[in-house]
Amino acid sequence: MQDKKNSENKEIICSHCGHVNPPGTQLCQSCGKMINENYDKKKIKDLMRYDGSAVRSKVKSKSIFDKIWNFFTSIKVGVAIIAIIAIAAAIGTILPQEYFIPLGADPLEHYTERYGTFGMLYYKLGFTELYSSWWFVLLNGMLALSIIAASVDRGVPLYKSLKNQRAKKHDSFFRRQRLNNTYSSTEQTESVVKGLQDKKYKLKQDGNHYLLEKGRLSRWGPYINHTGLIILLVGSMLRFFPGVYIDEVIYAQEGETVSVPTTDGKYYVKNEAFTLDTYDEDSGTVFDESLQQNKEMTISNFQTDISFYENKSADVIGSKPDLEKIDDYSIRVNHPYVFEDYQLYQSSYDNSQLKSMTFRLEDKDGNTIGENFEVNLDEPADTYEISEDININMRAYAPDFLEIDENGTLLSETPVPSNPAFVFEVDNGEKKELSLLQIMNSTDISEGNEYKIKFVEAEEHVATVLTLKKDLSMPIIATGFVIFLIGLFIGSYINHRRIWINGDGDSMSIAAHTNKNYYGLKKEINSVLEANNLDHMNDKEEQDKSKG
Amino acid sequence: MKKSTRKIVRTGTIITIVALLGITLYLNLRDGSQTINVGDEAVDFKLETLDGEQLQLSEITGDKGVILNFWGTWCKPCREEMPDMNQVYNEGHEDYEIVAVNVSENKQQISQFISGLSEDLDYPIALDPNRSVTKAYNIGPLPTTIAVNKDGVVVEKQEYQLTKEDLHKFIESSIE
Repeated sequence: MQDKKNSENKEIICSHCGHVNPPGTQLCQSCGKMINENYDKKKIKDLMRYDGSAVRSKVKSKSIFDKIWNFFTSIKVGVAIIAIIAIAAAIGTILPQEYFIPLGADPLEHYTERYGTFGMLYYKLGFTELYSSWWFVLLNGMLALSIIAASVDRGVPLYKSLKNQRAKKHDSFFRRQRLNNTYSSTEQTESVVKGLQDKKYKLKQDGNHYLLEKGRLSRWGPYINHTGLIILLVGSMLRFFPGVYIDEVIYAQEGETVSVPTTDGKYYVKNEAFTLDTYDEDSGTVFDESLQQNKEMTISNFQTDISFYENKSADVIGSKPDLEKIDDYSIRVNHPYVFEDYQLYQSSYDNSQLKSMTFRLEDKDGNTIGENFEVNLDEPADTYEISEDININMRAYAPDFLEIDENGTLLSETPVPSNPAFVFEVDNGEKKELSLLQIMNSTDISEGNEYKIKFVEAEEHVATVLTLKKDLSMPIIATGFVIFLIGLFIGSYINHRRIWINGDGDSMSIAAHTNKNYYGLKKEINSVLEANNLDHMNDKEEQDKSKG
Repeated sequence: MKKSTRKIVRTGTIITIVALLGITLYLNLRDGSQTINVGDEAVDFKLETLDGEQLQLSEITGDKGVILNFWGTWCKPCREEMPDMNQVYNEGHEDYEIVAVNVSENKQQISQFISGLSEDLDYPIALDPNRSVTKAYNIGPLPTTIAVNKDGVVVEKQEYQLTKEDLHKFIESSIE
């Protein structure tokens, strides 16, 4: 135990070359002699990941920051965080996100009603708004810390050991490499080195010791990749900052001018006209049959013609804006109106709101009298002139009829005209008759009514539903993603190859290491060796296989 | 890496991430729509009244306390509290004003409601047809009543029917 402690806290002097190594070093930074005898016992493959240098986190921890840091440098912790994020994201797809539930519905009620206790729990745990739930954000923060800590902790020692590496290595180092061989003569050393240099290897020489290296960039692949990930995470975090990411719904009835949300009343948009085109089912083309199979009309185009206004008076809320028209545009699906950093997309339409109702007046015998009259449900008139003698007065109106109040007025349940009821007074100059009308029902109030008011038709508002989008985080996220892919490419397709040649004394030793694709490295060296009439490299792994 | 650099990198990274997380969570978890509560400054607005006059909040709060009552004719407690409010109002309102902001209804509906009452309402009724003021105050249930003092600061807020006692308390607070 004492031993271990010592080795973990003290600098290590290499018994072979005398180089002073930082605590925790596994292989001497200078000559590559094994310092920790157990270093390669556990791992069979690739002992050189960090070139045997000390991985910082595995050394000692002192302050609370060191402890936090060291916790997050662990690969196990990193993998665990990624796994939790992945599982959470998967669970988040079981039920629809809150974004997709009907507008204005109470989410808790909605989820409980539709999915029972599971839905309620799902909502309470924040899965319905997964990407902005506090614990998901926290997990992403932990992932960021884990990536940074692990990268710094491994990247810095790696950088140092690669920068400081020496051409001269201990004999035992040569023997430990997977690819090695020893030749009885040193004559061809120069020629082999030359041959490798022709293959774009960079040479580092120390007397008769040679280090040939290429593709070191490969080692930085994961770190570049991690940088991209961090940028991605920062970009997605920025979305929570005000003004960076906006996704709003704009609802505008035909002819209505509404203020554009999040612009502080600076911009207004008017729905000039909403068009809904459908495909012709009898156009004589090959599509007719499939169009006819579809019971509903197949829509070919949604379009909102808008006028876009700027408010010239930055006046107080509620006051009439001073609008100046800046633009006309036809918004179609995938053809948004763009202003500043915003895009205004066609999303859907709504014709569920009643706009007006038309009635006609009948006498006792069922003959229609005068003109039909239309009641505007948003702003009903007091009197409707039917003929020269007869007027109809609106005595009471409830947009969403609930009941008749004690004082005789009509009570409404909501201000939305969804179940209108009226009390009409028919006045023919001589007498007045009262009747109550609901959509499917009419009741005489006064006795012995001579006239009847009949419902003719109703007209709906056609409202366009637009979505307002703005996303300033997109360029950052895209950059992060590109860097991520570059890192992935570098790490995957570039090989870091190193070849050590010791031409000291009577024999020439060659050892080679790569972080991937030993086959390619072997082929490359062997071609140079062949050119010099030397034997191929020995491959430890192949020997092991043939033995085993 | 030198020990001091290492310390800076570690401490710096952890503090930065914690700070950014803190800001993100704060921005995320705070109520997105900013409800106006007691202690907040009342948002100024300008609306047309039922009588066709222009009414601006800041002009009244200059020398009077203001009771803002958000209501609708379809809301039963609103209908019930309005006659009470009118009685209190008619006991004298030299140092305060009641403004009843109707949420998104048309004049016909409001007139119809008032004509059904046993007495006329004497305080001004402001019309908020496209709910811009209602949204600015992020009004939830109706009725919601807010007392604003002469400094334009919200001093009382209640999201259910007012009794006469409540109203007196609101008036007291608004003129203090």
